[in-house]
Amino acid sequence: MHIQVDHLTKNFGSFTSVDNLSFSVSEGEVYGFLGQNGAGKSTTIRMLLSLIKPTSGSIKIFGKSITEDRENILQRTGAVVEKPDLYKYLSAFENMKLFSQYSGLSLSKSEIMRQLAVVGLESRAHDKVKVYSQGMKQRLGIAVAMVHNPDLIILDEPTNGLDPQGITDIRNLILMLSREKKKTVVVSSHLLSEVEQIADSMLIINQGKKIVEGKVNELLNPGKVQLEIETLDNFSAKEILMGSFWSSSLVDTTKDCVLIDAERSMIPELSKYLVEQGVGLVGIKSVNSLEAYFLSLTSEHAV
Amino acid sequence: MQYSRIVNIEVYKIFRNPRTYIAFVVVAVVVGLIQLGFYTDGKTYLSFGLRSLSDTFDLKGKILNGYLMAFIILQVLLVNLPLLVSLVAGDMVSGEASIGTLRLILTKPVSRTVLLLGKFTAASVYTFVLLLWMALWSLGISMLIFGVDDMLILKSDMITQILSSDVMWRYVAAFGFAIIAMLTVAALAFFLSVFAENSLGPIMGSMSIIIVFTIMNTLDLPIFNRINPFLFTSHMLGWKGFFDIKVNANNEQIVGSIENLPAVLTSAGILILHIIALLWASVIVFKRKDILS
Repeated sequence: MHIQVDHLTKNFGSFTSVDNLSFSVSEGEVYGFLGQNGAGKSTTIRMLLSLIKPTSGSIKIFGKSITEDRENILQRTGAVVEKPDLYKYLSAFENMKLFSQYSGLSLSKSEIMRQLAVVGLESRAHDKVKVYSQGMKQRLGIAVAMVHNPDLIILDEPTNGLDPQGITDIRNLILMLSREKKKTVVVSSHLLSEVEQIADSMLIINQGKKIVEGKVNELLNPGKVQLEIETLDNFSAKEILMGSFWSSSLVDTTKDCVLIDAERSMIPELSKYLVEQGVGLVGIKSVNSLEAYFLSLTSEHAV
Repeated sequence: MQYSRIVNIEVYKIFRNPRTYIAFVVVAVVVGLIQLGFYTDGKTYLSFGLRSLSDTFDLKGKILNGYLMAFIILQVLLVNLPLLVSLVAGDMVSGEASIGTLRLILTKPVSRTVLLLGKFTAASVYTFVLLLWMALWSLGISMLIFGVDDMLILKSDMITQILSSDVMWRYVAAFGFAIIAMLTVAALAFFLSVFAENSLGPIMGSMSIIIVFTIMNTLDLPIFNRINPFLFTSHMLGWKGFFDIKVNANNEQIVGSIENLPAVLTSAGILILHIIALLWASVIVFKRKDILS
């Protein structure tokens, strides 16, 4: 395991930001860290990097405790926490040189230019950071995080504030780091779709607590879906479903739809049943059950 | 090894930041204005100040010379210099917190203690260079413009004449003392900087403390007089002690002497103790600090 987190808790006064969180990240994988804004992702990441001290629990990275072996661990770790804030009065090249020196390295000009080329910034290497777009800053932030060639890269919401092209660029960069450079990447996001596209494993947290952890392809099993059934009278439809084979799958009923968990392959059978029962069926929309769960968290938060 | 590397980086950052040069411009402008003022109206000003002496003594030579100018400038500037010092020292940690680079630095394999000591050393280098710049303008340029001669220092109850051959080492010592005094201000701003998320707080905070302490020094009240010896502001003007000369039984000055060297050294010692205490407290706080910026 590259990261082993056990019973991690962080309190700020009476507020518990991270609550008894445990998870592990294997070597070489892209690990998605998912949760809505304020779920405790950034606090957890800051604890992984020793920016914040845990109230209780333990963090081991590369088999060593972050509290006891911080510098050795950080020698093999690179990170961008929230925004990639850099020295705006310096160029990308100068920022790279500066942060390589913080890491105890003295990189040659050609080596810095090679690293900037990895994130597509070699042609703008000598421009001051203050003229960079958000996407360019984000890519430079990742280059700075990787300047000492770490084995583990931690990226906190790396696509925040980016346009669609910027998001695609960062996504491709993360995949390249994992597949070509064989890095372990932990990437946090509040968007399931984003994590789904790049992560091998993922963890969902809410209010600082672990909701679910596992392989993405297992958690987002395309066969298992949640169905949003829209009818002319949803409450009558619910009554009919409750008296049927489908009763155990019933999740919820709102004025807009009836929700049930089911296999995708059962949609034709379900629609046939509803029509036979005289339900005025308007439509059935299927979403992945995990996605549905995550959306419900987000909508609760919005309310 | 790591310490010297961090000092190099921090010094580089200070002198690459355009804001740093505000202080250098301010010093040059203020000194230039004082020099211009004395160049045009200095003789009238001095003849007014020396009118009571002129009746008794025949004053010959260049009274308005570079040495006297430097003394006048230092009296004016060393009161205002703390603001310019705290502009940079108060920004060392909090400024990085506000722009977000502090958390990026601390994701690198750098010891927090070494980082903080490196930052303070860099702030000290800045303070030293700023004072050197002030010395160059106040003493060097004044000597070029006004020439050199014996130095007369007017006080409320006496006048001191220092031979021109006995002046320069006193200025070197005075600048050395001024560095200690300004480092105390830097250490205070630096300490407050560890708590803050933007540089305005530490700058305003350190200036407020200096103003309050100075008021306590100025008010001759028993309650304050008991505390005053322990306040660093009571000792910041100790550099003037280098311009007080011992006299012999015939009331003749003793070249190369300082009237009350123990008092000057005590003041320097108290300032150094303040620097050590503030830096130690900064390290303790910073090591425990959660980086939330």
